[in-house]
Amino acid sequence: MRVSTAGTTHVVGIGRARVFAPVLRAQSPHLSDLPVAPPFRARTHQEENSHTMSNKNQMNKNQNTKTNQNTNNPNRRPARTGPSGRTHPDRRGREPVPASGLRRFRTTHPVLAALIPVGLVVAAVATMVVVKATGGSPGPAAAASHLTTGNSATSNADTTALPPSVVAALAVPASTLEAVGSSASVVMPSPTGTSAVAKTADGKVQVTYVGAEYCPYCAAERWAMAVALSRFGTLSGLSGTHSSGSDVYPNTQTLSFYGSSYSSPYVDFQPVEEATNQVVNGNYQRLQTPTAAQQALVAKYDTTGSIPFLDIGNKYVVTGASFSPQLLQGLSREQIAAQLQNPSSPVAQAIDGAANTITAAICASDGGQPASVCNTPAIQSLVKKLGA
Amino acid sequence: MSAEGGMRSARRSGSGGTGAVATSAEARVPLWVQLTSLVLALTAVGIGSYLTVAHYADPAALACPDTGIVNCTLVTTSSWSVVAGVPLAVIGLAWGVVMTALTVPWAWRASVPWVHRVRLVLSGAGAAMVLYLVYVELFRIGAICLWCTAMHVTAVALFGVVLAGTALGAAGRSADPAHA
Repeated sequence: MRVSTAGTTHVVGIGRARVFAPVLRAQSPHLSDLPVAPPFRARTHQEENSHTMSNKNQMNKNQNTKTNQNTNNPNRRPARTGPSGRTHPDRRGREPVPASGLRRFRTTHPVLAALIPVGLVVAAVATMVVVKATGGSPGPAAAASHLTTGNSATSNADTTALPPSVVAALAVPASTLEAVGSSASVVMPSPTGTSAVAKTADGKVQVTYVGAEYCPYCAAERWAMAVALSRFGTLSGLSGTHSSGSDVYPNTQTLSFYGSSYSSPYVDFQPVEEATNQVVNGNYQRLQTPTAAQQALVAKYDTTGSIPFLDIGNKYVVTGASFSPQLLQGLSREQIAAQLQNPSSPVAQAIDGAANTITAAICASDGGQPASVCNTPAIQSLVKKLGA
Repeated sequence: MSAEGGMRSARRSGSGGTGAVATSAEARVPLWVQLTSLVLALTAVGIGSYLTVAHYADPAALACPDTGIVNCTLVTTSSWSVVAGVPLAVIGLAWGVVMTALTVPWAWRASVPWVHRVRLVLSGAGAAMVLYLVYVELFRIGAICLWCTAMHVTAVALFGVVLAGTALGAAGRSADPAHA
């Protein structure tokens, strides 16, 4: 609506203000001073004449200009016209309404216009699904396994995705683990002498691992840790790697906890891989740095500073490998994984046996949960050996 | 003059938060919006309750496939399932309860404006949270939880119904001669 005052033409947002101002006033008492829509009462001849006389010159320039009683209302704001500059009559045909395409759509289809944000949400979800379906992100959980394959792309170019067969094999059947029991060649976790178990706010036992991808002892220990942890929860995002080719037990095939995640109702597992197996400027490439709390744990319970370091609720610790990496020499990850299911194989006796000791330490720390894991004869026997 | 007087009266009532404006709002929000939003909010409460009970009882007991890309336990026990020490299941349940309170017919008729604002903001927050959680499921965990997905669908649908109801209410009020 065009209104002329003192020779200046304003476009008054009658149409839009009429739609939204009552809503705003209804929802916001403090906005009660918003302009009230004009009453649309018929103008008197006196008013008509008065306005016509005071704006005679402007009226001559624009025959479509109408008068308004609220011309001098300081609250009335100029409205914006659409890109075309056109105005349209409102539904009652009484006032020209400034309208753009979007504004007109919002007026004529309020529900559809309101559902635009929902459409954006659905489109965003659909985009993520498509990206996931076509991209190389972490794979799905392997069938009948608590372990999932990981990203092939990590900061270490020498790290690869674990084949599904290896992932599936890490979920060693309880019967196999029971058959292996405890092995004489496996080093038991050491009690720290602390009676209080370190737990998270939601009651999970805190398990901290500090190691490195170049370390052959870590390479051996990770197999046992993965087997044990999979009994209490789900590991995902594991990658395949190997120890350094220039260290003892070179190129011991293993998996890496870097980039992995673990979910469990009983255990909060926090792994730290301090370095890759790649040498850069004379040092192994840095990967992760322990937190101050993790460094304090190492300083307290691992006075020699050796890795791997495994802390189970501050109640038990493993410093160094539970068995010799020599057992894994020359074996591929697939060959190691395949032997895990055979309780009579030396590899299974070492890895599954070490997994049993770690399992027993966790059971001794979390109150024996879950019973399906902790109440088995082999684990019960190991818990007693741990002195719990 | 009578029309102008009526407008002034409605304006005073509106600014005071009671009276004609509320009556108009009640009349303009369609019944299907009120009922659909309430059913969706109650659905959210139901799913949130189930996930909360499962979280504290036995996450592995969720009635959900545990193979392939679908793995509820993997999602509900992941490190992303807890925010600031509060399980997401509990947050979802609380959100559902609040949304239920905000979508009962009396709330749709409420004359106090903050009720409508909070309903809109919370439903939008629910939809935004869905985006984040879908991202986490797909790209961080690598698994989908069917119960979580049901909650996500409910939240987005509720967002849509609340938006539609708000728009229809606003349009209805604008078309109301007493408020034009």
